[in-house]
Amino acid sequence: MSGAQERLAAARDVLAAWVNDFQEPEPERLDAVIASADLTAAVRALQTAHWGYLAAITGLDLGAEAGQLEVLYHFCSGSAVMTLRVPIPRQESSVPSICEIIPSASVFERELAEMLGVVVVNTPNTDRLFLADDWPSDIYPLRKDAFVDSAEKEQGA
Amino acid sequence: MSTDGSLSGKRFIVPIGPQHPALKEPGHFSFTVDGEVVTDASVRLGYAHRGIEKATESRNWTQSLYLLERICGICSHVHALAYCLGVEKLAGVEVPPRAQAIRVLVAELERIHSHFLWLGVAAHEAGFDTLFMYTWRDRETVMDILETLTGNRVNYSANVLGGVKFDVMPEIGDTIRRGLEFLEGRTHHYLEVVTTDQVFLQRTRGVGVMSLEQAETLGVVGPTARASGVIRDIRVEAPYAAYADYPVQPVLAEAGDLEARFIVRIKELFESYRIIRQILDTLPVGELQTRMPRRVKAGETVSRVEAPRGELFYFIKSNGTDNPERVKVRTPTLCNMASVLVTAVGHQLADMPMILAGIDPCFSCNDRTVVVADAGGAAYNWEQIRHYGIAFYQGK
Repeated sequence: MSGAQERLAAARDVLAAWVNDFQEPEPERLDAVIASADLTAAVRALQTAHWGYLAAITGLDLGAEAGQLEVLYHFCSGSAVMTLRVPIPRQESSVPSICEIIPSASVFERELAEMLGVVVVNTPNTDRLFLADDWPSDIYPLRKDAFVDSAEKEQGA
Repeated sequence: MSTDGSLSGKRFIVPIGPQHPALKEPGHFSFTVDGEVVTDASVRLGYAHRGIEKATESRNWTQSLYLLERICGICSHVHALAYCLGVEKLAGVEVPPRAQAIRVLVAELERIHSHFLWLGVAAHEAGFDTLFMYTWRDRETVMDILETLTGNRVNYSANVLGGVKFDVMPEIGDTIRRGLEFLEGRTHHYLEVVTTDQVFLQRTRGVGVMSLEQAETLGVVGPTARASGVIRDIRVEAPYAAYADYPVQPVLAEAGDLEARFIVRIKELFESYRIIRQILDTLPVGELQTRMPRRVKAGETVSRVEAPRGELFYFIKSNGTDNPERVKVRTPTLCNMASVLVTAVGHQLADMPMILAGIDPCFSCNDRTVVVADAGGAAYNWEQIRHYGIAFYQGK
């Protein structure tokens, strides 16, 4: 077993209490689907086990039909990449903050909040990170339908 | 002010930026000070945000390559490389070894240019303009090499999906070797200067110290992490492109101060020279490109490369069509910025430009939407901006 495979096996052990849906989409990658209520406990367990570092948080919009967003927490350890996938509803979407465990996640959470309109509960800083101060508060640019209305208006005009 | 010299609980905040806070790029910092000493710091980014992630969703796979390459004017190649490696993985395309070696060659040339650029900027922030001018003069050597090799100084556009655009001819190999010989001599000199010049050391030694524990907690990457003793180098940890054939020795330092960051980056240059020579000596023969399908199989992938500033992370999702479903870019500066805010506390206000420069921040990488609005306040979309641009230049 290679180093990366051992690391991923260790991640499975750490996460077993909260996750029963593991996928290996590619060699050296592990996806673990987890409920948002279990997120902080799982991240804390990963930290306690010194499993890798948080490399990024990605927000995915699965579209209005699916009615879901997905928040991906990518952890890396050597060449192994483990992703915690948190499915959340598209309306009133929220995830708990993990800043108490990983303080550097603050910037990732701010980006997630402004780009996809996900409320990050208890995140220490809710200021805009990238978007301009006068950006409209109800447009989340990375949502799939973010600019559909304005495009339709143009065509009608 | 009260009689004991304290500010009786009042806080003074010194705003720096958004125009050119130390570097010639935009970012806004608020430093809370007690006298000359910084007690708190915060940052506001996004002045160079261009909405590139969103823009990829309305472009095809090939167009997105050229767009992503323009995220950064310093490390354009690594963005294109991270994207290409990811998309090729999704499409199940095997890139020829010669192309992978040429990609590494350009990546290391880019690292040399980036580190020289940084060395100059950092020296300038310390008030050492002689060093700044010499390093930027020498940097022209590697810029000329890149231009000779690729036709461009900045957006080299070496990558295409499925391989590289150009070959490395033996004559160019000799030009590169001559250039590296000159640069290597200069690099030895710079290493001596930054470790012995007493005036310069007063600005760097023991300044902006980040311990190994802090570096790990803050999640810093690249030379900033390695200067604090954290071995975090994607070329070593998860070799991509041709790095498995041309292994890299990570350069580490223990001190975690500004001096250590100078030493790590300068020593990494020697490693880059060695790898480039090795590639020129043993460049595999073969094709430069593999045929790439126009549509990419549905799926998701993660692509990580070591940019000059640290780990560059791409998450790419395909829905099986001509266009990407989602491209997520996490640049190294975003990870390293948090360390500035923490290490700033307790230092003199005058040290702030140096501490900021110490992480080698890249704001254009970090921010990725300029909102272009007409006088009435209505925002333009991409297509309108394009038409406006064409009309503007035709009218000239």
